[in-house]
Amino acid sequence: MGTLGLGLGASLVGGLSRYAEALDRVEGKYKDYNVVLVSFDALQAAHVHSLGYPRAITPTIDALAGRGFNFTNNISVASWTVPASMTWFTGVYPSEHKLTNKFAVYEPPVTKLSNLKELAPNIVTLAEVLKQNGYATGGFTGNAGVNGFFGYGQGFDTYFFEKGKFGSMDQSVPKALEWVAANKDKKLFLFLHGYDIHGQHVPASGFDYRYVDKGYDRKYTGSAAEQEALREEGLAKGHVSLRDEDVRFWRAIYDEKINRTDAVFKKFLAVYDSYGLTGKTIFILTSDHGTEFHEHGRFDHGFSLYNELVHVPLILTLPGVPGGKVIKDQVSSIDVMPTVLDLLDVPVADAVRKQLRGSSLAPALKGEPVAKDVYAETDYRLYTYKRSVSTMDGWKFIYTLENKGRELYDLKNDPGETVNLVEKQPKIAYELEQKVFSHFRSIGSDLSARRWEPGLNPVYDSQAKAAPKK
Amino acid sequence: MRAAGAMFCVAAVLAAHPAGSADPAARPAARHEHTNVILISLQCLRPDHLGAYGYKRRTSPFIDAFAKQSVVFENAIAQANLTPIAQMSVLTSQYPRVNGMVSFEVSRDMVTDKTLPEILKIYGYTTAAAVSSPEFFMRYDPGTGAMINPGDIFSRSFDSFNRTMRGPEGRNLRNLRRLPNESLEWIRNNKDKKFFLWIASGLLHMPYGAAVPSKERSRYDPQNYTPFWKRIPLQSGRISADTDPAYEVFSRVRNNDFYWGFSPVYHLSAEDVAYVNARYDAGVHYTDQFIGELMNLLDSLELTGKTLVILQSIHGDELGEQGNYFHYDMTDTVLKNALMIRFPDGEFGGKRVREQVQGIDIMPTVLNYLEIPVPHEAQGGSLLPLLRGTASAYPGEFAFVDRTPWWEFNLSQWYLDFESAKGDRFPPSERKKLDEYRSMLKASFSTMEYPPGDIAIRTNEWKLILRKNRDLLDKVSWWSFITGKKHVIEELELYDLRSDPLEKKNVAAERPAVVARLKAKLLEWDASVEMRKARYRKDDKRLLIPYP
Repeated sequence: MGTLGLGLGASLVGGLSRYAEALDRVEGKYKDYNVVLVSFDALQAAHVHSLGYPRAITPTIDALAGRGFNFTNNISVASWTVPASMTWFTGVYPSEHKLTNKFAVYEPPVTKLSNLKELAPNIVTLAEVLKQNGYATGGFTGNAGVNGFFGYGQGFDTYFFEKGKFGSMDQSVPKALEWVAANKDKKLFLFLHGYDIHGQHVPASGFDYRYVDKGYDRKYTGSAAEQEALREEGLAKGHVSLRDEDVRFWRAIYDEKINRTDAVFKKFLAVYDSYGLTGKTIFILTSDHGTEFHEHGRFDHGFSLYNELVHVPLILTLPGVPGGKVIKDQVSSIDVMPTVLDLLDVPVADAVRKQLRGSSLAPALKGEPVAKDVYAETDYRLYTYKRSVSTMDGWKFIYTLENKGRELYDLKNDPGETVNLVEKQPKIAYELEQKVFSHFRSIGSDLSARRWEPGLNPVYDSQAKAAPKK
Repeated sequence: MRAAGAMFCVAAVLAAHPAGSADPAARPAARHEHTNVILISLQCLRPDHLGAYGYKRRTSPFIDAFAKQSVVFENAIAQANLTPIAQMSVLTSQYPRVNGMVSFEVSRDMVTDKTLPEILKIYGYTTAAAVSSPEFFMRYDPGTGAMINPGDIFSRSFDSFNRTMRGPEGRNLRNLRRLPNESLEWIRNNKDKKFFLWIASGLLHMPYGAAVPSKERSRYDPQNYTPFWKRIPLQSGRISADTDPAYEVFSRVRNNDFYWGFSPVYHLSAEDVAYVNARYDAGVHYTDQFIGELMNLLDSLELTGKTLVILQSIHGDELGEQGNYFHYDMTDTVLKNALMIRFPDGEFGGKRVREQVQGIDIMPTVLNYLEIPVPHEAQGGSLLPLLRGTASAYPGEFAFVDRTPWWEFNLSQWYLDFESAKGDRFPPSERKKLDEYRSMLKASFSTMEYPPGDIAIRTNEWKLILRKNRDLLDKVSWWSFITGKKHVIEELELYDLRSDPLEKKNVAAERPAVVARLKAKLLEWDASVEMRKARYRKDDKRLLIPYP
């Protein structure tokens, strides 16, 4: 906030001289470079070793962080895949791209899947802009929340997703590499994604329980069905009962999945590198949301806006720039598209410039402050409607629209969001509430203008029954 | 007189935009850090009975002086014709349907959205009220039949809530609806605090002049006049023995005909109407003296330069212009309010605003001036851009009024029971039909939900009223009962306010284009407000406000 100059104010790892050298290169843009955007679906920041997790389960991701820029305080705009991921490709909030739930209309027998072009026809996607600028664009995903029917393929020359599955990088990586090999003479925009870490995916050969306590009584086995049951129980009752050892088990399962995915990604990087492309590629590693492991009494993701669900990794590597730089400024997933366009120095039409709600993080790479207040939202299955603001000085306010629930957390002293300070800090709560409403009004979503009634908008067929009572 | 406050005023004028991120030490203090607020709410005050609004009688020298230092809004509208409904609308900046205060029932926490005192308290204000309108505190418990003062939505958020007491037996209304003098003592005792003081006076409410000292009460009386109700020969029963124009008399007057036993037994003369106005004006004059005392006190305590003062009517009253009395419906005599705002540094002093504004605009204006964010639930708008000349439109261009037919509901729930228990207030012919009427009312309102009501849209030029449930109104109408004749209610009424300010002629049939345009806008508003309607919690214990 007002600090000038190079390298002052933000945290910096590495010698000053080396950094000065890096500056000159960062100063330049990265025209015609490749961009590989990787989403490790459901990976929360807290479980990444280079973001502070004690278990060293992410050696590949850590290595990239070590040579790149690690945004340790990146917040996703939503807490589940469908709304969160589309924000990377549009630079707008879910309330604007309108992929807030699986169905645009759910009134059986009348149902209509959400689709970007139909719901927000004026939005131009990142892939479209890059394609217009001569890029070959390819998306290789695990389907489900990022499937082509939602419009994720908009602007991609090729967009892979296997219908009906929560697909793994075991499938998307080979397909991606095939495409890269066939297009390596072109400038590339690659979106690589897999559900390996997600609760609805189990390893093809089963778990090996590498991190599970030896004495665990195997009440749970880590199956997708168990995960789903725990989530639904949490939604129906407001909480699930889990023993400490069960929570540890589920985290161990999560860690195994993360570790395995990290290994698959390492293989991807090796082959990608063998094509000689690493030196002209910007890598962006991130995730769309995290996972709750009982921090607030429930399980899985989508239904709240606590940090275990919205605090996600954002690691950016720039070729030829020695990094290992940690950037603690709070930023948002809405900044990804502006950052890519800025770094690639792509000409951006006025309409697209006006569309973007975030800002480029490139100044952070030069040590300038980029901290901002960030907003998040979820309308998860119409089970709940929540909106939040996280201020850059560490206050988090969450508003639940269907019951006017208000929560205020002092993240500096209570990072776990356990003590609601709404009554004790009424002025901060009041001002942040107005900030939230004001923000959403400014993006065309007047939260006061309608009733917010819980309803039904299922993701899986098993959820297509009467709306849960609360 | 104001120089002492000047140093506070400079800081106020230089106050930075609240969103500034500059060094806090350099940023001037926000206005809410050093500005007191006094909201003076006067029940039943007709602006056109004040000198400042052009009244010929010199009823209000002190208010007129205050007006010269203030912005005077010449076209301010109440959101409803009934006191607690109109005032809760002001305190929340919400239409009645949205905040839930639509009738004369009230439960302890029925209004959940933030009120002005609540917000100011959050910003460190000491909050106090001095209230002599029993609508804001007196409750009738139909379960026990007792009058109680439990405290509820009107008293919450006040550090001290001083309300008048009925006192020993006798004229309880005289004790209740007097001047809220304790406000002056409170200011003396709290002058060093940053405060929000709400002064609500019920003195002007019927019975007119009841709480005015006797020799002042008659200052405007016609010579040698005896109230008409003491002169009417009645075969049975009796009307009020008092000389104060009271509800028990005027609830029987329609088109200046006094009804008894379903017959018009007397037609009010010009002198009778003049007497009613005389007693009303005596109340205005007496209230004016209190306002003068208040302003002198603020000057003497050097608070004038650091206090924002808002003087408002809660709503007006009909005073016989159309032969009707009280505040039963949505005529301009009922809806037009006095509204004056005096800023601490005298800014805008002497300015007169002709554009229409509404009750829900008061709170956003106050908060905006104090540099407090306006709550998102607020439905009105700040009037500061209008005052500063920076508004391209203004929030009150189209004003909306929401009237649910709770008048008759309230009658059925309390008044009729109470009055008929007094025996001879109703002659035998009426008493026979009264039970039937009362039962019919109870049955009509039995669901305790919001009956679709009357809605109105008003501009600087027109007023359009739409009766959404004319059949219900026709059926329950008090006027139909007391006159013995069907009180025919039109579904649509359009009045040309410039050429017909007394709204004598419904020109809906003659101006179809105007009707179409305004009706479309009115229905659009109705739908949007309906969507945000507060919902009653069925298990909430509801008490009744016992005064019509």
